[in-house]
Amino acid sequence: MAVPDVKEKWSNAINAVTIGATKDEGGTRASTVTVGGQNTLPFMTFEGECPNKPVIAGYVADTVPDWPDVLKNAIGDEINSPVEWAQKCVQDFGVDLICLKLLSADPNINDASPEECAKTVKAVLEAVDVPLIIWGCDDDDKDNVVMPECSQAARGENCLLGSAKVSNYRTMVAICKADKHKVISEAPCDINLGKQVNILLQDADFDLKDVIGYQTTGALGYGLDYIYTILERARITGMQGDKLMAMPQICDIGGETWRAKEAVADDDILPGWGKLAKRGPMWEAVCAGNYLQAGADILVMAHPEAIKIMQQTITKLI
Amino acid sequence: MILIGERINAGFKDIKAAIENKDGDVIKEWARKQTDKKATYLDVNLGTASNKPEDLCWMIEMVQEEVDTPISIDNNRPAMLKEAIPVCKKPPLVNSTLAIDEKMDELLPLVAEAGASIIGLVMDETGSPKNSDKRIENAGKIFAKIAEYEMSPEQLFLDPIVMPLKFMQEQAQEILKAAGQFGLFSDPPCHIVCGLSNISNGTTQKSLINRTFCTMMIANGLDAVILDVMDDELVNAILTAELIMNKSIYADSYIEAFRR
Amino acid sequence: MAITGMQIYKLLPKTNCKDCGLPTCMAFAMQIAAKQKALSDCPHVSDEAQSELSDASAPPMKLIKIGAGDAAFQCGQETVMFRHEEKFHNGTGVAVRIPASLSDAECLAKVEAINNSVFQRVGEELKTALVAVEVDGCSDPAGRAKAVADKSKVPLILMGKEADRLKAALDAVKDQKPLVFKADAGTVDVLAEACAAAKAPLAVSAGSLDELAEVAGKAKNKGVEEIVLAFGSENVGETLRNLTVARRAALKKTFRALGYPALVDIQADTPELAVVLASSFAAKYASIVVMDVVEPWAILPILTTVQNIYTDPQVPNTVEAKLYEVGSPNENSPVMFTTNFSLTYFSVEGEVERSKIPSYICVVETEGLGVLNAYAGDKISAEKVIETLKTQGVADKVKHRKLIIPGLLPIFRAELEDDSEWKEVIIGPETASKIPAFLNEVWK
Repeated sequence: MAVPDVKEKWSNAINAVTIGATKDEGGTRASTVTVGGQNTLPFMTFEGECPNKPVIAGYVADTVPDWPDVLKNAIGDEINSPVEWAQKCVQDFGVDLICLKLLSADPNINDASPEECAKTVKAVLEAVDVPLIIWGCDDDDKDNVVMPECSQAARGENCLLGSAKVSNYRTMVAICKADKHKVISEAPCDINLGKQVNILLQDADFDLKDVIGYQTTGALGYGLDYIYTILERARITGMQGDKLMAMPQICDIGGETWRAKEAVADDDILPGWGKLAKRGPMWEAVCAGNYLQAGADILVMAHPEAIKIMQQTITKLI
Repeated sequence: MILIGERINAGFKDIKAAIENKDGDVIKEWARKQTDKKATYLDVNLGTASNKPEDLCWMIEMVQEEVDTPISIDNNRPAMLKEAIPVCKKPPLVNSTLAIDEKMDELLPLVAEAGASIIGLVMDETGSPKNSDKRIENAGKIFAKIAEYEMSPEQLFLDPIVMPLKFMQEQAQEILKAAGQFGLFSDPPCHIVCGLSNISNGTTQKSLINRTFCTMMIANGLDAVILDVMDDELVNAILTAELIMNKSIYADSYIEAFRR
Repeated sequence: MAITGMQIYKLLPKTNCKDCGLPTCMAFAMQIAAKQKALSDCPHVSDEAQSELSDASAPPMKLIKIGAGDAAFQCGQETVMFRHEEKFHNGTGVAVRIPASLSDAECLAKVEAINNSVFQRVGEELKTALVAVEVDGCSDPAGRAKAVADKSKVPLILMGKEADRLKAALDAVKDQKPLVFKADAGTVDVLAEACAAAKAPLAVSAGSLDELAEVAGKAKNKGVEEIVLAFGSENVGETLRNLTVARRAALKKTFRALGYPALVDIQADTPELAVVLASSFAAKYASIVVMDVVEPWAILPILTTVQNIYTDPQVPNTVEAKLYEVGSPNENSPVMFTTNFSLTYFSVEGEVERSKIPSYICVVETEGLGVLNAYAGDKISAEKVIETLKTQGVADKVKHRKLIIPGLLPIFRAELEDDSEWKEVIIGPETASKIPAFLNEVWK
């Protein structure tokens, strides 16, 4: 009995965005990473193309985050040095690119100077040859002085810089244009605001084809459903022709998961829920797997075991 | 929303003169202006300026030299369409057919073969429909013919026939009611279109009446409209009505974003 | 998919007799499509047309029950492809496999583990829904099924390819209405007959969707009412695509032969990968996933995925409006308030935990709105906060009168200080993630 044809006709493709620049392209990366470009829902290759597979960015910070020991131990002593951490991500964990978080710039953490941050960026770029995401400390005033230094330090490398928000997009747009980087447009858990930020970027003359969307990330069990549905709606609307919603999407899985109770508390606090050493990385991997189904293109991940499981998952899905 | 720009029509003096003088610049100027205002289709109407197929084809060619916006061929004569459809670089919208079997049997094969779309006026040999039931009956006739020629409902734009408010005030409600039911005919549904300016014929508040009626029609399923796309207030009202119907995603700068 | 006017019109006499009160059959058909008339309003309609229409108006995906009585697990009757279009209705059930290779004692131990696979998470009970007993290779399938059924608190799936063993097992536990898994083109006749007789649901499988529709059709013709579409995970990408195609065919084209819920039997290289795949399939579009492992680290993430994805997106999740104690706060601990939108509350709670400073969180009833929306929608006011603090007896818990308020509501400060006993109002951070830094600096 023949099943009826249920192929959807999507009028628009998601933008393909390339991060990183090789020597020929004016940078020093060994290779580049391209995400997006699909004109169908995730993995639905029977009706369209998914030319670029989702990628995993290794979470690296310039100061040790407030993380549980199961995660810190799994990463190893290298966690104390962003350079060594990044190298381990690439060589041992096999990530596609590095997401460097400049947490130490936060006035509440180390209040690191723009020069110090730029130095870290340069050192990481020298230590690894994969493309780089450079993400500020989420303090607008501080990011506005730190990110220009870092952007300049990475000039020519076609990095992805985070993030442009309603409150600080002008600086981010200016430096990304000047130093030829891609930008992350951020709107916390709000699809309307997500569209609005993209309009603002467009009005500031930034090419939307150089933008990755970030609708923030909810950990598994902590608002995942909201972000899942925002990503799904954005993807559908983008493919239906709304060019303001046709961005590839990034999810900060590692950054969010390791605050959730299920990834922090062991079975002394959560009796009957199993050992954290197993449960923690599963919490991260399942969260990542779910967002893939909603349309995430870049997964920022931290635990080596979770990264490994997601690498296997991505291979199986395509 | 599918916006069908009405301005390249020989009913306007400058267009009529352009056809007579073969002055392509006027046609091109309106093609450009309406495209800049985000028209989805450009209606091309020869009116009484000529009855020669080559004149209609010339108009289409002029438009296509300037923009790549698809054409709405405002003509219902098979002999004309036979010549004009192949000139179109993108599948055109044929405007229009009546709900009369013989007429449809002449037109639909041409439309189907070109993969084009057609506006179906829910009017038959007995003249303008007087109520929503008659409109629906005629729509049913058009649906049956569409199926016969193996066209998808998505290739059909049903037009409930808009009558002037000033002279037939009781008709407006019937039109709204009929439009509200057109979406129930099939799945996927057909498009619902109307020639908007009819509603305000002879009135002193054309723009306001057009705008108000259009938003009410959108609430009843209208997804295409033949309009003066240069009327910013009208288009703004359409954009807003679409948000209210949850057809697009809200953003604070939705008007500016559309105009960009 | 609603029934269209054209579909209904085809069932009518097309005589335009006006006996229904409308001028034409087409107008009448449209009134039915608009649910303003019923087909029975036409005095000339045939019985066949009546039954065809009632078939056509049945839900496009059938509701399936596995198990007997109140303990039955139900799935199916989904109506949309994306949760934002309405909601997903019946949450994916996790089934855990009892391999035939297990000894009787091991088998019962695993059933016990499944019975205990119950979690209280954010106010809801989450649990493993089904036990999947393998009968292939089992020396006494009937005995094994009976033993599991006697001990299990959850309904059964009988798993196997050998029709004789499945029938023997079904016969032993037929009162329990187990799901018989699975019939293919070769065994569907025999198994469908057995299931029809026992009124038990049957899972069907095939190499392609076209063949699957065929096998499901055969089962239905044999009298099986409740059918489940079975898929494997040897080729994950293909199964994922097949699940989407089957669901679209059922919901958007009313293709009845695939109008049933789906089951995915998860077989993966590692148990960790199986967990991720099971969660992905729960999101896209499996109603049952069969797992090998029963350990909490594996089951809980899948159940939490189901909890998230099957939440009604139109209804905000709320927590009870009461005073929460994080850690073991004492009379000197900080006091703060927030809204009863669960996402807001759990963000605040999580960050307070991270700060390692035991605190009281007073939750104000805001009908599930977050801080800004609650303020904009008039669901929170300084007056309401004062009243809530009073009702919850917060002042009795601490010696001090310092109150930390959300950074997004600085405007409440004056009124709170003027009109309540909380004389020192401290404006907290605007986002939860800044709470640890805030508490560690400002509070100390």
